[in-house]
Amino acid sequence: MRRTITTLATAALTLALAACSGDASPLPGSTAQPAPETSTSAAAPDTSCNARASLRPSGALPEPGNMPAGSYMATIQKRGRLILGTSQDTLLFSSRNPFNGQVEGFDVDMGRQLAQAIFGDPNKLQIKVIGYDKRVSSVRDGDVDVVADTMTANCSRWKDVNFSTIYYEAGQRVLVSKDSKATKIEDLGGKKVCSAAGSTSFLNIQAVTTKPIAVAKPAFGDCLVAFQQNEVDAISTDDTILAGMAAQDPYAKVVGEKFTEEPYGMALSQNYPEFTRFVNAVLEKNRANGTWTATYNKWLGSFGAAPKPPAAQYR
Amino acid sequence: MLAALIGLGLLTGLLAGITGQQAQAGTTDLGNRAQPLLAEAETIYANLADADTTAAQAFLAGGLEPATLTDRYNDDLTRATTALTEAARLTPEGSAAAESVRSISTGLARYTALVATARADNRQGLPVGSSYLSSASELNRTTLLPEAKKLFDSAQQEVRDGYGDAAGGWWSGFFALLILVLLGALLLAQRYLSRHTHRTFNVPLVAATVLTLLLGFGTATVLLTQNRHLNQAEDTGSTPVAQLAEARILALQERGDEALTLAMHGSSDEPEKRWQAADPRLRAALSNTYLPGATSGSYDAYAAAHEQIRKLDGQDGNYDGAVKLAVGKDTTAKFEQVTADLSTALDQRKDAFTTEIDKAGGGLVVLAILGPLVALAICALAFAGIRARLEEYR
Repeated sequence: MRRTITTLATAALTLALAACSGDASPLPGSTAQPAPETSTSAAAPDTSCNARASLRPSGALPEPGNMPAGSYMATIQKRGRLILGTSQDTLLFSSRNPFNGQVEGFDVDMGRQLAQAIFGDPNKLQIKVIGYDKRVSSVRDGDVDVVADTMTANCSRWKDVNFSTIYYEAGQRVLVSKDSKATKIEDLGGKKVCSAAGSTSFLNIQAVTTKPIAVAKPAFGDCLVAFQQNEVDAISTDDTILAGMAAQDPYAKVVGEKFTEEPYGMALSQNYPEFTRFVNAVLEKNRANGTWTATYNKWLGSFGAAPKPPAAQYR
Repeated sequence: MLAALIGLGLLTGLLAGITGQQAQAGTTDLGNRAQPLLAEAETIYANLADADTTAAQAFLAGGLEPATLTDRYNDDLTRATTALTEAARLTPEGSAAAESVRSISTGLARYTALVATARADNRQGLPVGSSYLSSASELNRTTLLPEAKKLFDSAQQEVRDGYGDAAGGWWSGFFALLILVLLGALLLAQRYLSRHTHRTFNVPLVAATVLTLLLGFGTATVLLTQNRHLNQAEDTGSTPVAQLAEARILALQERGDEALTLAMHGSSDEPEKRWQAADPRLRAALSNTYLPGATSGSYDAYAAAHEQIRKLDGQDGNYDGAVKLAVGKDTTAKFEQVTADLSTALDQRKDAFTTEIDKAGGGLVVLAILGPLVALAICALAFAGIRARLEEYR
């Protein structure tokens, strides 16, 4: 009983765990240890497929509020809201705004743009906070319609879910305190570096040749708490998540080049390929009409001018 | 013969003193230490649970936390800290209870620091504040509450043991036996004397016998009265106190789990499962005879609101509506009616206990002082009675 409470409290309150793109957690059923292919992927990425290539849109987008009969979009329209699975502690991508309690960010806006395309109303969106280790299973089991949660499209996940085309290019970097002399992850040999338990970020830290000590916390918010309490010397995960942390702590800085590639895609059910094509058509439209750039500027504009949107690749 | 009688008399006196003193000490310890420790342990346990519930609700409300919740949280911590100081005074050095008090004190300092940081971050609009809050909540649920429960359990055990000690244990049985032996010895002595002298009655020895009988009856009366009040104290005091305290904590944890389910935004159904598991237990506890009949009704109203909250959040996907209902005035008022009834009943039962324990301790001092004196008088009378006869032989 106590144990249950522990586990719960760990997940407690907001804390919607992590959701780092670098989630290496296996599907339920093999939760005891990371699946072999993901654990080796730290050293040698799975290149058995082109994880960036998604399904090609078919024809023009239907009018909002007028989804084709029999399609999954029509099912969503009938329900009256789109269910988005995301986290609530990844500042800038999807975090709970302490002022009004709303979950908001780049990822949430991706969901809102889909709601806009289906209903003509970006607010017909139900946000479900899911554990970082539930991102694949909640799409596969139909608990949510779509996951937009700093989630890396990779080949092992493609076996269980579809991904949209890439909507953001992230990569792993490292966050240290302002007065640290470290300029890259290799400079942190023997130091404690925090990441979310079961994430590929965590495995990547272990693979660094100078052997930093990888420290696992249930969520990235917990890593920032540990960093501020001097329990760890650094945090390493996707640059996007680190940027959100640095924005909350003026005594922290993000250093070094990206040492991994983490292309973010939205996860969708394999049962409804028409929905994947629809989502890609929406992304295509928003890349072209400047919506993507506006969204980037809204959340990430303080880091400099918006780059070109990631180019769509299709199979 | 004389030596035997006087020896027995002195021994009886000694035992009367010890029996009275033991029962007195046991009763005093029960009333002045064990029961207050139970009360303090309950205060610590309930206030820590309430602090966690309050913090989760303040978080749910969004924006700057409502002043009422801040005040309530501060009050909870003040009460818990004060009770902790009292509990430290009431626990013997090296006991398991003292160990619990120590770890709660250490954890509480860390807990308040984490919550303070969470608030400071929240004031600046930094989402990491919620991570601090969850760390604090985890600390509360995994360290503070289990230790508080341990303290509460060991305090309950001390109260149970206390009833045994207060009853005087085997001293009273031994004393009763001795009174019988002394009586027998006095009667034998008188029979011997009446056969070997010309007098049927030896007045001092008769007086000694009467005094012995009085001492026996007096002691029995005092101890039986004490026993009756101890039983009363247990039945109408400490037993319902423990039951009501557990009910109140159960209620607070339900409310905390409700807030937690919403705060986790659908990422876990564990808190809701705990709520459902606690529900029948709490309903059973609310049928306690010392609670007003209306309490169950208030709880029904709260439970209905809870079902509505779950429906809004789960089936209807109306998260904002669910939060609004959960932290809203109506639901809060219904819930607080339940805890208020429980608190009132708890206070009444604590008072009942104190009254009964005071009554139980009443005659014991008299026994401890008067018992040995009466025994000395018996010795003196026996000496006087027998010496008069001895002188006649000279």
